[in-house]
Amino acid sequence: MHTPEEVLAFKKPTEGFSCSLSDNKYKIEFLEFEIKDYDTSKSVFKVSRDDAPDLSALSLEASKGGVSLEDLARTVRYNLPKEFLKFKTVRTMLKFCVGPLEVPSFRMIERHYYKGELLRNYDFTFGFCIPNSTNTWEAVYDMPVNSKERINDMVGSPDEHVSDSFYFVEDKLVMHNKAYFKYV
Amino acid sequence: MGLLTVIKKVKAKEKEIRLLMVGLDNAGKTTIVKKLCGEDVSKTSPTLGFEIKTLAHNGYKLNIWDVGGQTTLRSYWRNYYEQTEGLIWVIDSTDVRRLKDCKEELHKLLVEERLAGATLLIFANKQDISGAQSSKELLKALELDKMGERHWKIVSCSGITGDGVRKGLNWVVEDIAARIYMFNS
Repeated sequence: MHTPEEVLAFKKPTEGFSCSLSDNKYKIEFLEFEIKDYDTSKSVFKVSRDDAPDLSALSLEASKGGVSLEDLARTVRYNLPKEFLKFKTVRTMLKFCVGPLEVPSFRMIERHYYKGELLRNYDFTFGFCIPNSTNTWEAVYDMPVNSKERINDMVGSPDEHVSDSFYFVEDKLVMHNKAYFKYV
Repeated sequence: MGLLTVIKKVKAKEKEIRLLMVGLDNAGKTTIVKKLCGEDVSKTSPTLGFEIKTLAHNGYKLNIWDVGGQTTLRSYWRNYYEQTEGLIWVIDSTDVRRLKDCKEELHKLLVEERLAGATLLIFANKQDISGAQSSKELLKALELDKMGERHWKIVSCSGITGDGVRKGLNWVVEDIAARIYMFNS
C-alpha cells in the first residue's frame, strides 16, 4: 500500500486503484461536493450523496462497461462548463461524515494530470475527526491563467484531465478515488 | 537566531495561520465565519464536527477551524489545539444563564499548555439583540484578570449584521503576524 511520500512522487495517474473499498474501516463517506466561482458565487458543480445512482443502476452500468462495481463506485465524471477554465479563484466545499471510530489524523492528497503531466497537487491535513461527526471543508484556490489555445485544447480533449484523490489515516491509505473532467 | 529563525522563515514562505474557533453551542461561531466569507447567514444548523474554511486575508492564508460546541463535542476540542496560533472564543452575550459554563470552559482552555502561546480573541456576539451583556459586563463575569503574558482582546460583534467581526479578525491576524512573521517584513 502506498505512503503519502510515494503518491506525492507520482508522475502520472495510477493504473487502477491503490486500495480496496474495505480499507475504509473508518467508514468515511462523502456527502456533498460543490465547486463555485469565488467572484460571482456561481455554482458550476454540485453533487450530494442523495442524488447518487442507486446500486442496481450502477451494477447495470458496470456490467455493460466491463468494469467492476467497486471501481465504478469510486470514479467520478465531471462535466464542467468551459468558463470554469477562465475563473480566477475557485471555492470548493466538501462535506463528509465518519463512522463510530475516532479518526486520528486524516489527510487528503489530490493530484491532477492533463495529458499525463502533473497540473496541480493539493495536500490538506484535516487532522482528527470526531466519531460519528459530519464535517465540512471549504477552500479557496487561485486558478492558473489558461491561454485561449490551452482552453480550446482542454475542451477538445475530454477525459484527458484526470485526478487521483488519496485519503490517508495516520499515513495509511484508506480511500482512493479517481475523477475525469470534461469541459463543455 | 538558530532554530527559531529557521522555523519562522519556513512559515513565512507559506504565510499560513491556523485559527481555532470554539465556545458553547449556539454561541454563533459558524454564523461569524459565514459572515466573514460573505455568505448567507439566514440559516445555520448546529455543527456536528468541524467546519474548516480556508481563506485569503491581507496576504495571509487563514485556516479557520470552527468546532461544534455541544457538550458531547467539547471533550474533543483538545484534538485541535496543536499548531493553533489564534484562539477565537465566541460568547452568546444574551445567554446570561450559561455564563458560568462559558467561564469554566474558557478557563479550561487557558490552562492548556498547547494553547499557551496562542493569541486570544473573545467575540461578545449577538450584540444586535436587546438584553445582550456589554463586553465590560462579560469580562467581569468571565473573571479574566489573570491573563499574564497572553495577547488578548474582547470585541463586541454581531454575526448577523456583521458589526465588529472584521475588526476582530483583523486584530487577531495582525497580532499573530507580528509575532510569527516578524522576520518577513
